[in-house]
Amino acid sequence: MALQDYREDMELCNKCNICKFIPLEKVAGYQPVNVCPSISRYNFHAYSGGGRMGIGVAMLENRLEYTDKLLDIIYNCQMCGACDVSCKYAMDMEVIEPIYETRIKAVEEGHTNPALDKVIGSLRKQGTMVPGARSKRGEWAAGLKVKDYTKEKVDVIYQVGCLTSYNKDMWKLAKATVKLLQKAGVDVGIAGNNETCCGGRAYQMGYKEDFLNQAKQNMAMIKKSGAKTLVTSCADGYQAFKVLYDKYELRGDLEVVHITEYLDRIIKEGNLKPKKKVGMTVTYHDPCYLGRLGEPWIHWQGKEVPGHIRVFEPYKEFRRGTYGVYEPPRDVIKSIPGLKMVEMVRIKEYAWCCGAGGGVNESNPEFSLWTADERIKEAEATGAEAIVTACPWCEQNFVKAIKETGSKLKVYDVVELVERAV
Amino acid sequence: MALDRDFYKRLEDILGPENVSDDPVVTESYSFPIRKKTMPEKVTYIPRFEAVTLPSNTREVQAIVKLCNQQKVQYKASSTGWLYCDPVAPNCIKIDLRRMNRILEINEKGMYAAVEPYVIGAQLQSELMKRGLTCNQCGAGANCSVMPLASHVGLGHMSQSGSYTERNMLAVEWVTGDGEIVKLGSLGSHGDWFCGDGPGPSLRGIIRGNSTPLAGLGVFTAGAVKIYHWPGPAVFPVEGVCPQYRHPEMPPNFMIRYLSFKDIDVTIDAVKRVGEAEIGFTLMGFNAAMMASNIATDNQEDLDYLAKFASQVQGPGFLLIIVGNSANDFAYKKGALEEIMKETDAMSLKDVEDPVMGAGFLWRFVRITGSIRETSRATGWGGGTVGGSDVFPLMTRYILHTSNLKQQLIDQGLIMDDYIHPFIQSIEHGHTGHGEILIRYNPAGPDHIMKVQGMLSREANKTAIRGRFGVPHHVWSDALHDMYGPEAHNYHILLRKIKKNFDPNEASESSNYITAKE
Repeated sequence: MALQDYREDMELCNKCNICKFIPLEKVAGYQPVNVCPSISRYNFHAYSGGGRMGIGVAMLENRLEYTDKLLDIIYNCQMCGACDVSCKYAMDMEVIEPIYETRIKAVEEGHTNPALDKVIGSLRKQGTMVPGARSKRGEWAAGLKVKDYTKEKVDVIYQVGCLTSYNKDMWKLAKATVKLLQKAGVDVGIAGNNETCCGGRAYQMGYKEDFLNQAKQNMAMIKKSGAKTLVTSCADGYQAFKVLYDKYELRGDLEVVHITEYLDRIIKEGNLKPKKKVGMTVTYHDPCYLGRLGEPWIHWQGKEVPGHIRVFEPYKEFRRGTYGVYEPPRDVIKSIPGLKMVEMVRIKEYAWCCGAGGGVNESNPEFSLWTADERIKEAEATGAEAIVTACPWCEQNFVKAIKETGSKLKVYDVVELVERAV
Repeated sequence: MALDRDFYKRLEDILGPENVSDDPVVTESYSFPIRKKTMPEKVTYIPRFEAVTLPSNTREVQAIVKLCNQQKVQYKASSTGWLYCDPVAPNCIKIDLRRMNRILEINEKGMYAAVEPYVIGAQLQSELMKRGLTCNQCGAGANCSVMPLASHVGLGHMSQSGSYTERNMLAVEWVTGDGEIVKLGSLGSHGDWFCGDGPGPSLRGIIRGNSTPLAGLGVFTAGAVKIYHWPGPAVFPVEGVCPQYRHPEMPPNFMIRYLSFKDIDVTIDAVKRVGEAEIGFTLMGFNAAMMASNIATDNQEDLDYLAKFASQVQGPGFLLIIVGNSANDFAYKKGALEEIMKETDAMSLKDVEDPVMGAGFLWRFVRITGSIRETSRATGWGGGTVGGSDVFPLMTRYILHTSNLKQQLIDQGLIMDDYIHPFIQSIEHGHTGHGEILIRYNPAGPDHIMKVQGMLSREANKTAIRGRFGVPHHVWSDALHDMYGPEAHNYHILLRKIKKNFDPNEASESSNYITAKE
C-alpha cells in the first residue's frame, strides 16, 4: 500500500479533533486529556493526526513542496499511533497507516532527515540502530551459558535487540531475561554476534527498503534454525517481528511473544515463581509498540461496496488498538509479592508515548525528552516510587528525562522486577 | 496574497515566533481543501489563511485584532473548530484559540463555571462530576468547546433539563471586532461570572442573535456556563479497551429508554406529558438509525443494529434518560413514565432496557461521544443542515414538512434509507423544541452534493418561510439573512447595524454571520 491507496481514508477526516484527545469516554478530569505529543508540543493543527491527513492529500495533489517546514512536521511525530486509536473510536478510516506512508514517500523521494540518515547508515554498515556502537553485539552474554541458535537447535529464540545489545546500561536486562528463561527450564538460544536489527525502527523512520532487508535477513536465519518461537524484550522488536513481518508476509508461522507475555505464561504455568517480596509502589507505562500498535496485523483483500455507508466486501476489520498487549505485563507485576501497582490516567490503548519512537529520539532530542517528561510528571502524580516499562527505548528515555529534571522517580523494566522476586 | 512582512513581524512580536506561521504547510491544514471531489467545480480549492496565530490570553487576542484593524487584514477565530471556521477569501488570518484552554473557575455555590474557549466538554463535565455537578455540552460532542458561544445555539443532550445557550451563557469576556475588551453581565460590574444580565452591561442578545455570530463579530475569549446538579458517579465506570468499552452497571436512580410511538401526533403528546411531569434529564428524538450508530463500533455493525432496531420500533420515537435525586424521586419519575407509556402505547426498545447495554447508551449520551459515529462515520460527510428552535410541536411540524423531501432523496437513491423519522428534541421540558433532518450519503461528486444539500436547503427554506415556521438555525450568510429578513420584521437590518457598530472596519471575517454591506 502506498500513500495514494489511503487517499479515501484521509479524505474521510472531518476535522473533529478527537485525534488530539484520549477517548472521550475515558476523560476523568481537566488533565491529562491530550494524547498526541506532536500537537501538544507544537500546537498548530498540521502536527495532529487530522492535520497530517490534510497534508497527505495535499502532497498527493502536489499542492505542497518539500520544504523544511513540511519535513519538520513529517519527522516530528513519534508514530505512536494514539491518534489512530482515538479517531477509530468513532470512524472507520486509517490514520497511522497513511502517516507511515507519508514518511515512506518522503524517504523514497530523497527527502530524509540527516540525523535519521546517520542511524540508517549505521544499520546498513553495522546492522544496528545504535550509531557508533563499539562493543560486539553479543558481548553482553559473556560468561552466560546460553545456546547460540545459529549453531544448535533451540525451542525459543531470544531476540535481544539493538539498544539492549549495545548499551551497557541495558545489559542487565538481557542477562536477566536469559536467566529467568533458563530458570523456568526454557530451551532458549540467542544469535550473539550474528544477531541483526529487526528493522522496526527503520520502518518507523520511513526507510521501508532497509526494514525489508533486515526482515528478510532475520527470517532466513530464523527459518534455518528451525525454532518456532521468538521472544523479544523490546517493544519495537516485538511489533516488527509480530506485526510488520506479518504485514509484508515474511513471518510465516513463527510465534512472536514479548517477554512479558512469556513470563506471564510461565508464571501462570507454575514454572517460574516470584517469591521474594519487592516492597515498592510502581506504575506501569504501556510502550506504544507493545500496546496499541502491537495488535496483530489483519490481512484483508476486498473492495468497498458502493453506497451511502462505507462498508466492504468481505467485511473489513480495522485495527483499533483493542487487541494490543495490555494485561500480561500487569499480571506479571501483580504476581510479585509486596509490589503495589497504581495506574496513571493515560494507560493501555491511550497511553502517552515515552517520546523515543519514530526517530524523534535521534532527530529531535528536545521534543523526545519533553514527551518523556510529560509522562514522568504523570507517573509522579500517582504517588509511585518507580515507573515500570517493557521496552529499553522507553526506559532509556525516562532515565534521560529524570536526569534532566531531577525527578526522584526510579525506572525499571518488568524483567528486572521479576528477577528481584525470583 | 502574501502578508506584508512588517505585519507578520508584528504578529511575531505579539506572540513569539513559535506561535505564528504563514508557512503553506501550516495554513494548508486549516484550509480544509480535502474531500475535493465533494466540492462543486467552482470551489474545488478553498483558499488558505494568510497566517495562523496561537494566542495564549485575551491581551494577545486583543493585540492581534487591533493590528488587523490597523492593517486592514481580516481575522477569523475558532476554538476546537468544526465546519464554519474555514477560510473563504484571501487576506484573512486565523486565530486558533487552542492555547486558551484553562478552566478559570468552578463556583459550586454560585453554580457556574468560567472557561476559556479551548476547554472541551469532556474536561469540564468530568471536573464537575467529581463535585456532584454537570453542564450542558453541545450536541456535536464532548470533543467540542464547552463555551456556549462557541457552539451553534448550544443545544445538547441535556437540553431537556439544562436548556441551551440563551439560558446557559452567563458572563462573557469579548474582544469586539475592532479590539475593545468588553465584559458582559456581572463580569462587567465587579468581576464575577454569575450572571449574563447584570449588574454590569447585558449584551447577550447582541452577541447571540438567532444562532451565534460564528466567528463574525470579534473573539469571545472567556465565558461562564451555568452548571447543574449531578446525582451520578464521580467517574463513570468504563471497562475494556477502545472501542469495545463495557459499562458494567447502571448507576442507582438512573434509567434510560428508547420509546417509539405509532405516529408523530402520539409522539408529540408523549413529549408533552414527559415535559409536564418534569421527569426527563435528557429527551432526544433520535430515530432508530441514530441509536444504531451510537452503539455500533463500525459501519457494518451499524447496519446490523439498524436492521435489528428497525424491527423493534413502531414509528417515531425518542431517547429518554431519567435521573432521580433520591430513591423516592426516582420512584416517582419512573412511575410517572410508566403511566405515560401506558397512555401513549409506547414501545420500548429492548436492547436499551438491558442493564449493561443501557449503561453504555447512558454514558455515551451523557458524555456525548457518539455524535461523530452518528453523523460522520458513514462516509465522513455528515449531512443535515436544517432545523430551528421554537415551540416543540411547531418545530416537529416544520421538520415533518421537510422530511417529505428526505423521502424523495431516498427514493432517488441519493441518500441512505435510515427509516426517515426526523430528529427532534425537546428543550426545557417541552417549553421549546428543536428539529433537524439528519442524512447520511456518499458525496460521489459535485453534482451529487449540490443536489442533496442544495435541494434540502432550498426546500427547508421554502417550508420555513411559506409555513411561517420562523427563522431556522441554519440561517447564516448575507444571502440567507437577506432572504429571511423581510419575512421576519426586517431583523437583518438590525443585525447589520450590530455588525457595523461592533466591527466598523469589518476586520472580523463574517461570511457565516452577516456583513455590513447594505
